[in-house]
Amino acid sequence: MTHAADQAYLRTRLAIMRGRLRGEEELNALIDLPPATLLEGFGLHSPGGLGQERLLVSFEQSLLQLWLDELTTLLRPLRGPAREILMQWARRYELFNLKALIRGKLNGMPAAAIRESLFRLPAFLALDHERLLQTDNLDELLRRLDNGPYGSLARQARRRFAENQDPFLLDATLDQYFYTELSHRLHSLEGEDLAAMTALIGRIVDRHNLIWMLRYRYNYALSPAQAFFLAIDHGFRIGRSRLARLVEEPSLEQFLAGLPDSICGILGGATRILVIEARMKSDLAAYADHCLRHGTSIIAAVFAFLILRYYEINDLFAIVQARMAGLDDDILREALHPEIREAA
Amino acid sequence: MIAGRDLLHITLQMMRDDLPLAGLALARLEAFAPDDRPLLAEALPEVPGQGYRDCVQSARGQLDRLRRLFAACSGDGGLCTVAPHLSLTREQLEEVQSWLARAWSECAPFEVEQQRLRDQSHELGQLDKSLDELSGLDLDLGQLQEEHSHLNLLLGLVPSENLRRLERALALSGHLILKETLEQESSRVLIAGPNQPGMEPGEVLKAAGFQPLVIPKPFRSSPEEIRKELDRRRHGLARQETALRQKMEEWLNRNRERLTEAGAVLEAALPYLDVGGAARCRGPLAAMQGWLPASALPEARRLLDEHLRHPYFLVQRRPRLDEWPLTPAPPTDHPWLRPFALLVRQYGVPRFGEIDPTLLFALSFALMFGMMFGDLGQGACLALFGLWQRRRLGNFTRLFLIAGASSMAFGLLYGSVFGSEELLSPLWMSPLKDPILLLKIALGWGVVFLSLGSLLAIGNRLLAGDLDGALFDTGGAVHLLLYLSLLGGILGMAKDRGFGTAALALALLLLGLLAARLWRHSDAPFGERLLTVFIETFELVSNALTSTLSFLRVAAFSLNHVALSLAVFTLADMLQGPAHWLMLVLGNLFVLVLEGMIVAIQVLRLEYYEGFSRYFQGDGRPFNPLRLGR
Repeated sequence: MTHAADQAYLRTRLAIMRGRLRGEEELNALIDLPPATLLEGFGLHSPGGLGQERLLVSFEQSLLQLWLDELTTLLRPLRGPAREILMQWARRYELFNLKALIRGKLNGMPAAAIRESLFRLPAFLALDHERLLQTDNLDELLRRLDNGPYGSLARQARRRFAENQDPFLLDATLDQYFYTELSHRLHSLEGEDLAAMTALIGRIVDRHNLIWMLRYRYNYALSPAQAFFLAIDHGFRIGRSRLARLVEEPSLEQFLAGLPDSICGILGGATRILVIEARMKSDLAAYADHCLRHGTSIIAAVFAFLILRYYEINDLFAIVQARMAGLDDDILREALHPEIREAA
Repeated sequence: MIAGRDLLHITLQMMRDDLPLAGLALARLEAFAPDDRPLLAEALPEVPGQGYRDCVQSARGQLDRLRRLFAACSGDGGLCTVAPHLSLTREQLEEVQSWLARAWSECAPFEVEQQRLRDQSHELGQLDKSLDELSGLDLDLGQLQEEHSHLNLLLGLVPSENLRRLERALALSGHLILKETLEQESSRVLIAGPNQPGMEPGEVLKAAGFQPLVIPKPFRSSPEEIRKELDRRRHGLARQETALRQKMEEWLNRNRERLTEAGAVLEAALPYLDVGGAARCRGPLAAMQGWLPASALPEARRLLDEHLRHPYFLVQRRPRLDEWPLTPAPPTDHPWLRPFALLVRQYGVPRFGEIDPTLLFALSFALMFGMMFGDLGQGACLALFGLWQRRRLGNFTRLFLIAGASSMAFGLLYGSVFGSEELLSPLWMSPLKDPILLLKIALGWGVVFLSLGSLLAIGNRLLAGDLDGALFDTGGAVHLLLYLSLLGGILGMAKDRGFGTAALALALLLLGLLAARLWRHSDAPFGERLLTVFIETFELVSNALTSTLSFLRVAAFSLNHVALSLAVFTLADMLQGPAHWLMLVLGNLFVLVLEGMIVAIQVLRLEYYEGFSRYFQGDGRPFNPLRLGR
């Protein structure tokens, strides 16, 4: 996939970047810090508590910028399918922005307020936010998307919104589109890259499918057919036929009982969706860490690093946000690790 | 030669109302780059213009939408951008914004109607195809529209990418796809399943973006009636489309002038958006700060006098030394140096206050290109190609002219015309006559080039007050002396005089100095420190020598040019009549394109790698002046 020199470069860069990842211990140490010290450490101390929301937005932007800078550095020596697949992963931020735009337009928010909630993205992510922001309503926004990469989604959504203005289905379709595109890009890889990335992306798909099938079926009471339609192909341990059987189960417990042993082992008997999500996330993080340290595929190692950094950014943001909102340690720890309450 | 030598930092103090006009005036100048550091934040805490920015952005959004909507019917772009207004008031801008908002509210229904007609036309086309396909089935299609007690039949379109997933999901509600026709975007499907409570596929179809096709009632009677009905619908749509187009054209004709006027006002308003944090205010007082070449100052004053409605006060000063890293350096603006300035910027932006490498780059590029690709005829072709394609090449036309002229000059020296060395007697000699001499000249040029690079590096560091860097860093004085002493020694050996005691002593002394400095700057443990100092010192010497050897390619390519031409002539001589001439033309074309390109790349490589990497940091700030019509 890459030349030997590029591989050497990537391995070196990854080794340096891996050293900069904050592990579980460092994140816990941040939680233990007095809130003022923590916020001051990140340059978020605002005397008088003024402009906290703005500070938080700029902190989130700086975290995203870090992730994008690292992605750009790692993308540099990559070409072809390897580059494509990593760029697709970066499009998740484009997707977040699209969702924010849709929700904003649906709720009639002014353009300036929607703009505040958007991530500033690098040039290779092509969504023209400004043009979309200037639209009068959702219908016009979807028309503007017609000729771009989201054209097919926009056409479907336009018809759907004409009947029922519920953003839930569009959110689900956008997620499905994103993961399906990611899985499609897998097929262009070869050899050990293909095997390693199939295992890694398959785990991401498993996690997404498991959590969302549970929510669709037992929280939102969607029919088995509708929930199954919203599932994503190419899971690693939960295949399509098993998923088709599982969504027909009448209760969450029966669904969980039908999961393969490997997944049951990860869940450890958890029955709350939040806890299940946290355990699946921990498993994915552990696997990503293994790929990063011991994997033979450099593409999978890069991808694993980006996953770990993304998780770390989310946790870091959650800690800072909780401290700015004045939440106490217990709530914060439970938000980061919902399994704590389950264990208690 | 010094980047941004005559640049001034200016602070323009004025009344707040005049800020947009100042932005407009300075944008006309195209030489003022805003400086958005909060230098004035204490005295002038507010950053003005948020309302203005929102107003312009919103108006731009409306105008863009109108332009897109009418692009098809105005044909030649009756809405094309025009020269911006040269006067601008807030009232004017607000008036334009509110007019554009009104205009868009009048025109938005046109867009919705256009979309509706497009969708209906698409649906009609799909229905037509469906009927053709289904006419082969022994099925009363009229029944598809009716309620059945046991059977659920649905005809419609589904996005092709959802088809397989839909099929699998439908199976869970006991439905199946009886017939499907795959097309690029959407597929036509006929779905069948039991009509039972709890087995309705409605929600999953909605999730899959299923769009039912409504079969016209007459279909139930006879195929001829269907065709008639579909034709009637098609004509109806065409009539509606024509009527819509007419309405749009009428609207456009009524408002064309107003729309063009709005475009001109918004063009004038845009520069102020780029000012950003460079403008600050408190109450009615405001200031704008930025960078301006001293040569543009009189014109700036004239434009400000012309545009601003109230008195203003302009403070100017030279950039302070501590500001140098933040000061942008305007690029060389000489038309013949512009293409080279662009190539320099491919590597990096010169820092303010350092020696701008553009002139040296241009001269050395021309010299090396000519030497490596010396041919009177092919050089002339390059220059003519540049002239022929001048519209497309823009600034790079002059690069072709310079490279062509240099190639022609060396062609005269080598006596080479289209690869032939018989048509012209050389002013100097053919490269093949004495290749060793050519290699020696190339090496000599390498020494001159690298030494010049080092001198530039030393000069740049001294200008920035970095004495230590000027002495010891890569390309610094110690490196240069070491390089020259090593060369002196090697030259002596080549002339059988031995390395020379003086050269050896000087080289050892300088090496010792460098090693000592490396040792002092390393905080590694003893063993590692010893190893790194040894390796880095060795690398330094080997780099200096290999860099010089890199310049052998200058001679090698001039020899290569002759060898390739000889090959072309040998092949041509094996052919008779027109084939001979065809081979000469194609061969020359091949040499011109392929070798010309390779030589250009090699010269750039020498410039960037052996030159810029030594003396040019390239981490300066780009000079982005305000402009109209960006």
